Amino acid sequence: MPKHKPKRSSPSLDMTAMCDVAFLLLTFFILTAKAKPQETVTVDTPSSISEAKLPEVGTLTILVSKEGNVYLDPAGAPARRALIATMNTQYNMGLSTAEQNKFVNMGSFGAPSGDFKRMLSAEGPERAKMSTGIPIDTVDINKSELASWLHQARLAQFNYKKEAISEGKNPDEVKEYAIVVKADKDTPFSAIEKVINTLTDINLNKFNLITSQEGDPNKSE
Amino acid sequence: MAEIAEQGGGGSKDGKVRSKKMSTKVDFTAMVDLAFLLITFFMLTTTLAKPNIMPIVMPEKKDLKKEDLEETKESQVLTLMLGANDKVYYYEGITDAKLDSTDYSAEGVRKVILGKKDRVKAQWGEDEKDDPKNPGQKKIYSKLSVVIKPTKESRYKNLVDTFDEMKICNVARYVMLPISKVEEDFIKNPAAGLKFSAEDQAAAASGAK
Repeated sequence: MPKHKPKRSSPSLDMTAMCDVAFLLLTFFILTAKAKPQETVTVDTPSSISEAKLPEVGTLTILVSKEGNVYLDPAGAPARRALIATMNTQYNMGLSTAEQNKFVNMGSFGAPSGDFKRMLSAEGPERAKMSTGIPIDTVDINKSELASWLHQARLAQFNYKKEAISEGKNPDEVKEYAIVVKADKDTPFSAIEKVINTLTDINLNKFNLITSQEGDPNKSE
Repeated sequence: MAEIAEQGGGGSKDGKVRSKKMSTKVDFTAMVDLAFLLITFFMLTTTLAKPNIMPIVMPEKKDLKKEDLEETKESQVLTLMLGANDKVYYYEGITDAKLDSTDYSAEGVRKVILGKKDRVKAQWGEDEKDDPKNPGQKKIYSKLSVVIKPTKESRYKNLVDTFDEMKICNVARYVMLPISKVEEDFIKNPAAGLKFSAEDQAAAASGAK
């Protein structure tokens, strides 16, 4: 009777297929990845049942940190370039062209106009320390730096949109700014109130609050 | 796992030296390791889900004309005051208002709103108006009006939760207004009652700054 020997399998595996899959996934993630722009402050947004999505283009984000500091993040390089040029002359910030280019490529920003030049020349944690938020004057809207940043940003985007459309660009790709408020769930209401008052003072009565998704109790039943 | 060609054993019995045969297998292990490492890195750095937004429309700040305003009955109004430590204070109407407090859970403020909505429906019925989303069709709206008044001590999450409740409870008419001194005192001392002066009421009627 022949002895029945168990088949011994070789310990080396064929990795070719696994390698293929791994690289396929890698390619997918590289192509879909969008570098996260460095945020000046980390914000943990509250959740809501709202299902509307953030528009892809043309958002003007107002960040409100846990401490109540206000930062801005207008999207789109052309509008940012025009914005910093106007604000530079309006507040006599004395920014060089290189510093203005730095502004165009950075994420959210927020510093009083007097500290803006120093904030731009600082790097990394030093810059985060200088970013103390955009000052708001709740009494006189004409003195409020937040109001003029918002106004000039919208104007810059509006001009860019007009120009781009006259050059034959698709109107769906260039839009006027949608105002988006992104605040931390622990931000005190007094800080939010200042931002909302500024917005309504300059006749921006429609805006959006960024939230994360939460289940709708009416639908789950 | 790795195939290593043996050294020195290449010579055959008759002493002839033959050229070594290379194995056709390549060891992919390290390559797969690297690929998965990179995948993990890219997965973690990508922002996958786009955040949601909640649209808010605030009343215009300019002085409103009387004909722009719609009157509402006192018994159709529920005022929510968002207080400190995740508490909501609420009262109905103005005259002989009783202050009560609850929290933001489904058993808390949602029950208050839905209860008030049912009572308003029982007393006043409901409105049937054109649905802006489906032209030509009618939609039923509650006559309930909710006034949201956040205090300085409340946090942003409270505000978003309250707006969310409006949507969950299907309240068509709600507005966020700044809290008045009278109401702050009312929270501190509910026994004294809610005493709006005639001027306060006139201010509230003209669009409430």
